[in-house]
Amino acid sequence: MASVSELYDVTWEEMRDKLRKWRDENYRNSEQIVDVGEELLNEHASKLGDDIWIIYEQVMIAALDCSRDDLAVSCLQELKRQFPGSHRVKRLAGMRLEALERYEDATKLYDSILQDDPTNTAARKRKMAMLKAQGKSPEAIRDLNEYLEQFVGDQEAWHELSELYINEHDYAKAAFCLEELMMTNPHNHLYCEQYAEVKYTQGGLDNLELSRKYFAQALKLNNRNMRALFGFYMSASHIAASPKVSAKVKKDNVRYAAWAASQINRAYQSIIRKCDRL
Amino acid sequence: MAGPELFLDSSIRIWVVLPIVFITFLVGVIRHYVTQLLHSDKKVELEQVSDSQVLLRSRILRENGKYLPKQAFAMRKHYFNNAESGFFKKVKRKVIPKNPMTDTSMVTDMMKGNLTNVLPMILIGGWINWAFSGFVTTKVPFPLTLRFKPMLQRGIELLSLDASWVSSASWYFLNVFGLRSMYNLLLGHNNAADQSSIMQDHMTGAAMPVPPDPNKAFKSEWEALEIVNHHWALESVEEELICRDLNFGGMVSRELKTTMF
Repeated sequence: MASVSELYDVTWEEMRDKLRKWRDENYRNSEQIVDVGEELLNEHASKLGDDIWIIYEQVMIAALDCSRDDLAVSCLQELKRQFPGSHRVKRLAGMRLEALERYEDATKLYDSILQDDPTNTAARKRKMAMLKAQGKSPEAIRDLNEYLEQFVGDQEAWHELSELYINEHDYAKAAFCLEELMMTNPHNHLYCEQYAEVKYTQGGLDNLELSRKYFAQALKLNNRNMRALFGFYMSASHIAASPKVSAKVKKDNVRYAAWAASQINRAYQSIIRKCDRL
Repeated sequence: MAGPELFLDSSIRIWVVLPIVFITFLVGVIRHYVTQLLHSDKKVELEQVSDSQVLLRSRILRENGKYLPKQAFAMRKHYFNNAESGFFKKVKRKVIPKNPMTDTSMVTDMMKGNLTNVLPMILIGGWINWAFSGFVTTKVPFPLTLRFKPMLQRGIELLSLDASWVSSASWYFLNVFGLRSMYNLLLGHNNAADQSSIMQDHMTGAAMPVPPDPNKAFKSEWEALEIVNHHWALESVEEELICRDLNFGGMVSRELKTTMF
């Protein structure tokens, strides 16, 4: 088995920098992290200095994703030795228990963290993740709501809640969560687009109009969002096709749909041209 | 106002001016590390965190509410400001005024602050005054009145000497404040060697994100939210969008990265 450094002809510094990039940008390419990280830790541990601890954490989580319990346990032991009694390390130990599906033991561990420090959000989030993993959606939703009542500003929690509601087909509540996200990140075109999709799914003339508006906003924020462009076209044509609308509204929507169709054509033309040139 | 210029022995420069700078600087650095060692973590209450986030959410609602649909904005404003059931009207936090004498954590904090900051300054200032006394160290570049003489020229009993000529003790104090930017360069912001900021705020407790009286904060936030109206930013978004072609630049990139490195 050739090592990563031989296969790609890279030095250990490049490997370490790559791991940092993946860490900063929140990549979840666990197999690659395990390959690169394992070699870095086995061969070059002494050269890493203080970076080594965060790399242990990163590799451990990736190892859990790839079912590499051996690697996870060894990373965990090193971290436990260096930081005894740390809540962050305890949470990692809990994650390993979750990976082995020992959910009650993990819950006990997280509860002990929360007893010590009631403001520790990481432990609470792991408990909710466990409920989701076990398929207990209603309990997860209930816990997440309680969590959000206290920590109103946690954006990834709002996003998770919106996803859970969409899975339960409770679109009104999902829309509420997405509104929170849009409020805190008004220039993020993806939230606008998701909100518009939820409104479109809810159906009904008002919601369709709202969805058309938010698809348009997403397009304004990012001209290249094809999904929003298609959404804009669909919502406009849907409204135009509905029998209950006035003539003016129908005319406007037909105009919007026509414009959207021409833009879609332009986009595909430009791609075809670029591909021909390649 | 300038009298005849005095020529100082250049060994004053080598043996007095520079050593005082070094001593001040090193003492500052040592103070910083000692403070870090003695530093105890502040425990935040769950309620404080929660309150600060609620206030933040209300502020964001005021600023960015125009991106939400009218109904959504009205719903949230109602949640916060409704006369009977609104959050800012209903929730009253118990405010325990922190008595500086009895609150143990504040007393220990004050003691630690005094120990690491004031005590070394007094000790070193006194030692410098004793060790480097009896001669003029340097001249400040601006003219001073005679009232400053006894303060700045301790140990030099010359009536006719210009007040601009100062002793080593004043040079030491000048350094204490002047080296602040050097500390920022080496130790980063929020370093404990920065004495002047500690002298400015007497609360040695860390500034909490929520002011000590959340009720007042709630009231002012309620007032601010009352007056905000909803002007939907998306009123004519389609018309604005339609008037020009979309820019698809950069949608297809030439290279496809498939490998790790």
